[in-house]
Amino acid sequence: MPQLDTSTWLVTIIAMILTLFVLIQLKFHKYSYPLSPAPKTFKSTSFPTPWETKWTKIYSPLLLPQQ
Amino acid sequence: MNENLFSSFITPTMMGLPIVILIIMFPTLLFPIPTRLINNRLVSAQQWLAQLILKQMMMMHSPKGRTWALMLISLIMFIGSTNLLGLLPHSFTPTTQLSMNLGMAIPLWAGAVITGFRYKTKASLAHFLPQGTPVPLIPMLVIIETISLFIQPMALAVRLTANITAGHLLMHLIGSAALALISISPTTALITFIILILLTILEFAVALIQAYVFTLLVSLYLHDNT
Repeated sequence: MPQLDTSTWLVTIIAMILTLFVLIQLKFHKYSYPLSPAPKTFKSTSFPTPWETKWTKIYSPLLLPQQ
Repeated sequence: MNENLFSSFITPTMMGLPIVILIIMFPTLLFPIPTRLINNRLVSAQQWLAQLILKQMMMMHSPKGRTWALMLISLIMFIGSTNLLGLLPHSFTPTTQLSMNLGMAIPLWAGAVITGFRYKTKASLAHFLPQGTPVPLIPMLVIIETISLFIQPMALAVRLTANITAGHLLMHLIGSAALALISISPTTALITFIILILLTILEFAVALIQAYVFTLLVSLYLHDNT
């Protein structure tokens, strides 16, 4: 059975070690899986002041004192 | 006839030069390196496949086991692509060589076991004695478990070699039988040809399954030891 001819074993094993542990891993090492580029929603650390929590009518542009 | 049958498993050398090196390195050419943010179809498909395999395989491992992710994905892709390329007519399949499979199985198994001994010595030694064994059986069971541990790399290598070699031999035999039967009885030749087609489909499956089984078992040995 030709697989048991040990004269070629050294060449085969060295070629396989080179390919499997170096060449193929160099290829798969470059694969990158970036996260989705959609921006994350940030929770704001500042809280709105009591007069900013409600939109009050006085800020409506047509109700400001006419210049 | 024996000479002719096994001739496809002789390690190829051309005029004394070992071209088996080039044959083993050839599958690396089929995996281009991604250079862009959005790559071409081939690279994108390979990246998608790699991610699918990685998620399946690495889910069950601890963070320490996940450091082997690159090794395991390279292993499954290497064996899978080598086996599939071997299904082309007149090609040489490196995974039929016991030397290469032993060279893959022994270092990977040894790495997993030695990692287990270094980091979880008590737990990996405890694998030698299953829970709840009666006290008189303990010496015999330890011997049996030691033997079954040391046979793991041999089984990995021989399983892959034997499966791929047997498949190739069967295809060779049935193909030459179909060819010889054409002049004798065309209907029998047709039936034999259909058998050959079914066998080829099986061999495609076997090529992929063997890669999967090899990698899965290495992954299992790793899981036991991390």
